[in-house]
Amino acid sequence: MAALAVSPTRMELLKLRQRVGLAQRGHDLLKEKMDALVIEFFEVLRRIQEARMKALEQLSVAHRALSMCFAIVGTLETKQASKETRRELQVEISTRHIMGIAVPAVEVREVERNALVRGYGLHMTSSVLDEASREFERALKLLIELAELEGSAFALARELEKTKRRVNALEYILIPRLKEALKFIMMRLDEMERENFSRLKRIKAMLEERG
Amino acid sequence: MGFKIAVVGDQDTVTGFALAGATYTHIYTTKEEALAKLGEFLASDEIGLVLITHRIVEELGYEFRRMMRAKRLLPLVLRISDKTGYVSKVDELREIIKRTVGAEIMVKREGS
Repeated sequence: MAALAVSPTRMELLKLRQRVGLAQRGHDLLKEKMDALVIEFFEVLRRIQEARMKALEQLSVAHRALSMCFAIVGTLETKQASKETRRELQVEISTRHIMGIAVPAVEVREVERNALVRGYGLHMTSSVLDEASREFERALKLLIELAELEGSAFALARELEKTKRRVNALEYILIPRLKEALKFIMMRLDEMERENFSRLKRIKAMLEERG
Repeated sequence: MGFKIAVVGDQDTVTGFALAGATYTHIYTTKEEALAKLGEFLASDEIGLVLITHRIVEELGYEFRRMMRAKRLLPLVLRISDKTGYVSKVDELREIIKRTVGAEIMVKREGS
């Protein structure tokens, strides 16, 4: 049963005790880390739910505006305008660290633009197109925020998974094995003690017989 | 550092986000093309955010999930609903929670 091959010596026993202590301490630390991660994770999840609802709502509003635009301005013209639009929106993305885990931090600058800045010709288009563009810009802004949160959630989840695996490996594999080995050595040493004891008894009896 | 935005979606979604200023767009036609384009987007250093509709994610299926696992932190990939408001039933995050926290399924109330 003893999965760890150890020689039953006192030295080995001491070493093993140390290892068990270390493993236990590591296990406790990892467990604490996991708890902290879970708290963080759920906080992010809560925010995601809010952000997602808002973003999806705005997106459907935007799509409605766009359909309106397709209907009034015309599909072809709208597509044409979308090709003429200045398309160089930039988002600032850096990484932030939550407990040593890199999560994305996105900074949203103003996404909404003035109709003049957008870049499509004004004389061929109507205000419906402006409307659609504006709604989409708003949706995009919310989506960018949502993306940050989801990115964090995924990063946290991945770390959580890893930590959990480590905790389980320690808790269910390594520590039991070490304890098993520890028990084996202790039994073995006790057995040797008893053997020695009876041997001494026997020798003593022999000596007394002779003397 | 400034990053650009890419969109993979149907004609309407792409048109809408192009109007809003997304730089790169791909209109879904075939699976192979979309995968190639997506790979290109993910490999690019310029792109910080890729929007993709749920419907296409489902079309791409396993390949998409594999790409998600292999990708770096950036670009972020966000699934969005298309004009019909279609959102896939399998919530990726919920799946992860199930895997990490155990068989626990969350029921959350609003406004708590």
